[in-house]
Amino acid sequence: MKILLACSSGMSTSLLVNKMKDAAKKAGFEDEIWAVGQNEVGDAIQEADVLLIGPQMRMIKKKMEELGNEIGVPVDIIPPTTYGRVDGEAALKMAHDMKK
Amino acid sequence: MNFFEKIEEPLMVFGDKINNIKFFAILRDAFMLAFPLTIFGSITLIIANFPFLSTDIQAILGEYLGPASTATMNIMSVFVSIGIGYYYARSEDVDPIFGAVVSLVAFLILTPWLSGNLVEVNDAGVTTNTLLEGVTVITTERLGAKSMFLAMIAGFSSSWLYCWVTHKNWTIKMPEQVPPAVAKSFAALIPACLTLSVFLIVHILFTFTPWGNINDFIYELVQAPLTGLGGSLAATIVAIFFVQLLWFFGLHGQIIVNSMMDPIWNSLMYENLDKYTAGQAVENIVTKPFMETFTVGLGGSGATLIVVIMLAFLIKNKQLNDIGRLALAPGIFNVNEPLIFGLPIILNPIVAIPWILAPVISVTVAYLAMASGLVPLTTGVSVPWTVPVIISGFLATNSWQGSVLQIVQMALVGVIWYPFLRTLAKQSEAIV
Repeated sequence: MKILLACSSGMSTSLLVNKMKDAAKKAGFEDEIWAVGQNEVGDAIQEADVLLIGPQMRMIKKKMEELGNEIGVPVDIIPPTTYGRVDGEAALKMAHDMKK
Repeated sequence: MNFFEKIEEPLMVFGDKINNIKFFAILRDAFMLAFPLTIFGSITLIIANFPFLSTDIQAILGEYLGPASTATMNIMSVFVSIGIGYYYARSEDVDPIFGAVVSLVAFLILTPWLSGNLVEVNDAGVTTNTLLEGVTVITTERLGAKSMFLAMIAGFSSSWLYCWVTHKNWTIKMPEQVPPAVAKSFAALIPACLTLSVFLIVHILFTFTPWGNINDFIYELVQAPLTGLGGSLAATIVAIFFVQLLWFFGLHGQIIVNSMMDPIWNSLMYENLDKYTAGQAVENIVTKPFMETFTVGLGGSGATLIVVIMLAFLIKNKQLNDIGRLALAPGIFNVNEPLIFGLPIILNPIVAIPWILAPVISVTVAYLAMASGLVPLTTGVSVPWTVPVIISGFLATNSWQGSVLQIVQMALVGVIWYPFLRTLAKQSEAIV
């Protein structure tokens, strides 16, 4: 599964990406997980199966949902607590649940 | 919490509006285009001006490395102009490379050129006007800091006009057998000619004004007043206040506030840089690197590296220690989302006061330290916000005083936060 994360410059979400990759390895998933900044997300979403947005960038959700609806990519905001704890497992589970 | 919710809604709408305004989004992308170039120029400048080198070595390095910064930072308006044209056209589904070129040419048409009249300095240091026939020049000064707003205004207006005419379909239609690249260049013909004619007329009209050209007109009437206002301590405090307030509600403060302030802060930065590379005294206290280094550069928005350190090692509370340790490594590189969402800072009334107050006081101290001459001003060299504290202060000011200022600021932020962290620790124990 291809999981895309987005925040302002892809900096803080990349922290979570590493934790998610660890969690995916542990669970035996073959996920491709990466983070981009908001100026690249419009292109990157074309390649993704789901899009998770950092809570601090939740103002882009509406726009991203419109994009996501066109190509069948679900979009959601990462819960602040998951984000604050850099909880890779919770974020990974969320991504997998969204695609179900 | 009801009170907070009442504020959150309009802030969210405000943030959404600003972030989605096409004008700001395109400007942001255009400055992003300039970013790697600026960093490249900055690295060479830092090397050439490293304070521990002798002046002889500095001069030699400056001569060899000089083109790197001249070709990037000193002519930054060129790249801003190209970026605006490119991204505007792309957002309108018009071939972006033509948008970029039209924007650049519109900017250059409005730029004063010098023809056959070069100033030369002879060996005795006497300035003479030498007429060189057949030579046409644009001075780099006209392509740099002082033309930033012209580049933006020309970029947006030319791109808008170019795209508008293109959408009108007043293009020359080619038969299908014509190769696509050829057809494309013809498709751009009428919109480009029309757009550039308008800018040529504007240029001609301005030769009849007291300014002689629109570049000086815009600099004096738009850019200088705006940058003067935006570079003031009051405006800086207002900007920081809003950044902190937005973050308090969990919204990315910088992305929203910087959209509006970056054109000003960047112009001020390039102004300093022009002076610095020319060996003159820099004048602007508030610049882009000032904002990056002496606010965000202290551990992220809110200058929280010291807060993270105190949480990790000073406060006697297991839960807070864990949060501090988790946030420490990213905090060194000024990423503090783990703290903001982990402590949490968002909607937490206990930390609202230090969260907003500490950076406001700390930036005021930095401003006054520079205004009083204790710490040299930022040289205009661009320092990315992810550079760790102490190093960034040195790089931005090219002096050890910059690092010392950051340490003082961190101590100050720590003192302001400490009582609130103790309250937080007590409260979390009470809950357990």
